[in-house]
Amino acid sequence: MNMERRAFLKTTAGGAVAVTLLRGKARAQARPVRIGYTLSATGPYSVGAGITQGPNYLLWQEQVNARGGLLVKGEGRRPIEFISIDDRSEHETAVRFYEKLATDDKVDLLLPPWGTAMNFAVAPVANKYGYPLLGPTAVSNKLKELSLPYFYSLLAQPDPIMEAFVGLLKDLKAQGKISKIGLAYVNDLFGIELYNSAAPHLKQAGFDVVDTKSYPLGVKDVSPILKGFKAAGADVFLGLTYPPDNILATAQAKEVDWNPAVWLTCVGTAFPFYRDRFKGAEGVMGIAGWNPKVKFAGAREYFDAHVKKHQKEPDRWASAFAYASLQILERCVGEAGLDRKKIKEMLDRTEFQTVAGPIKFVKGMNVSTPGMVGQWQKGEFDILWPKSWATGTPVVPKPAWA
Amino acid sequence: MTASLLVDIVVGGLITGGIYALVALGLNLQYGLMRVLNVAHGEFLMVGAYLTYSLHTGWGVNPLLTLLITGPASFGTGLVLHRLLYARLLAGGEAPEALESRSLLLSFGLLFVLQNAALLLWSADLRGYSYLAVPLRFLGAVFPANRIVAATVALAVSLAFYVFLRRSLTGKAIRALMQDPEGAQLAGVNLSRLHGLAFGVGIAMSAVTGSLISMLFELTPFIGLPYTVTALVVVILGGLGNVLGSLLAGLILGLVETAGIYLAASDIRLIASYAVLSLILILKPSGLFAR
Repeated sequence: MNMERRAFLKTTAGGAVAVTLLRGKARAQARPVRIGYTLSATGPYSVGAGITQGPNYLLWQEQVNARGGLLVKGEGRRPIEFISIDDRSEHETAVRFYEKLATDDKVDLLLPPWGTAMNFAVAPVANKYGYPLLGPTAVSNKLKELSLPYFYSLLAQPDPIMEAFVGLLKDLKAQGKISKIGLAYVNDLFGIELYNSAAPHLKQAGFDVVDTKSYPLGVKDVSPILKGFKAAGADVFLGLTYPPDNILATAQAKEVDWNPAVWLTCVGTAFPFYRDRFKGAEGVMGIAGWNPKVKFAGAREYFDAHVKKHQKEPDRWASAFAYASLQILERCVGEAGLDRKKIKEMLDRTEFQTVAGPIKFVKGMNVSTPGMVGQWQKGEFDILWPKSWATGTPVVPKPAWA
Repeated sequence: MTASLLVDIVVGGLITGGIYALVALGLNLQYGLMRVLNVAHGEFLMVGAYLTYSLHTGWGVNPLLTLLITGPASFGTGLVLHRLLYARLLAGGEAPEALESRSLLLSFGLLFVLQNAALLLWSADLRGYSYLAVPLRFLGAVFPANRIVAATVALAVSLAFYVFLRRSLTGKAIRALMQDPEGAQLAGVNLSRLHGLAFGVGIAMSAVTGSLISMLFELTPFIGLPYTVTALVVVILGGLGNVLGSLLAGLILGLVETAGIYLAASDIRLIASYAVLSLILILKPSGLFAR
């Protein structure tokens, strides 16, 4: 909204003379493609939004506009104008603004907000008005059940992620490197889903889960859980975590003097912040999906451009998928124009090549990217599993905490 | 129950409780003396935590030494804020109810200003550092050294303040004001000076707690509010305006929560604290230690 106002002021400020003078130029400069979204600039979601999504939106906009604008089929290049709003990490605020973006602002395209719950909240709105929404930060088995034809999800979902986790653990167990698992999960939709996906796989693989504990969101002390696992002789810590509890558990593991052979956690591990916070976090494993060593076209260039623009590295899981979602959108608009039905048709039948590898949607779910496990090794989050995607081999037992 | 489990619960509870006590003490002082419910209390904690973070990571200052900076700085800020915002309000001579609701609105405003200022200065990225992240063993149990240090400092500051209230003339004047504002003023106690002082000290306590907490947890501009809520629970538990009550209630809440975590599950923490609160409100609404 602010941006709109600013644009309006800019065009009116010059006065009548300037307007007549500029008219010729304005005609030559195409009408912008208006893209609307909300992102949490304040509130608890702002951490993730500011790491994984916001920087990629801005990077893409800058790059595309530097190329002369977004190529729209039949219209040539048009500059991208963002209408971005802070949803304050409130679902109802986000829903309200997506309604407004679709009906009042009548934007050309919508980008999603950050996080699973937010995507759940706004996906029905986008669907109602026929806006394709490509979510790079939504992880839930229930997304499939929503059956919203205009919603697309790029990340691997809980089932495949846990399949990859257990696949790697099974392999390590067969080599005699680990035997007992202590499992902790955050007690909300995300953690519970991951747990429900993990439990049967672990059982099937014949694992000895010595203890399972849940903890609430915003937990301030997990040392009792860690001490319990340590006392029970676990040599694997499997944490189905969000970032704050992930960082808390990692810090406290060192504080209670527990260094299991495998330390495997979920959201947050792939953040460069995590690596820097724990002095390299050597040997820590987590959900992976991308690093600049992957062999996909543009991966390295994306990494460098991100660092150059934002002076910080992209995270090693969902960032590249956020950028990939924009690459996909760009290609669709280039080949199908801004007709959103045609964009949807193209999304449904095309396999896209992105910085995060090939992406193909079947019923809105990306079926080309498997669940992956990574490990911090000498400053890079190497992909360990599945082996066909690996950029490194597991280091087990992990070195002592730095 | 084994001996080491008992040690875990008792020491763990005192660690948590010590921090609760200090943050609640500041809130209680402001409320008890001025009937000003400062909803932005936790935001000052957040700002204190960020100051320590910046001083430690930027200039290598020892986090404990930063207390000597965050304490006085926030005390000064409190005095200024009191002069600029609250003094006018309190001088209005309105009914206590009107005063409470207006000061509540004022502190909501402060909350947003502080949060957004922190957002601009430090961004929403998680911030944190490691300090004394080493295990301390005792009586067969293991504790993080940084938590022990933080709780010890918190308890020491709380006790020092309590002694100050009991022994010094200013402390006695503050207590007199809490018990009987009119009587105290008749006896020559300067109301507005002490209000400013109490407000400043309350904010300083919050900021100092923040400095201690920054050694333990990651920071975002939004960590403050949960502490305000916990502080409120402790204040109600201990009795409004009762300083010793806050201190003891903080420790009790810490112990109850920790016992719940060890004996049941981590999810029980909030349930435990609100159950205690509900019980007190039903059985002894004036607070556990009300005279």
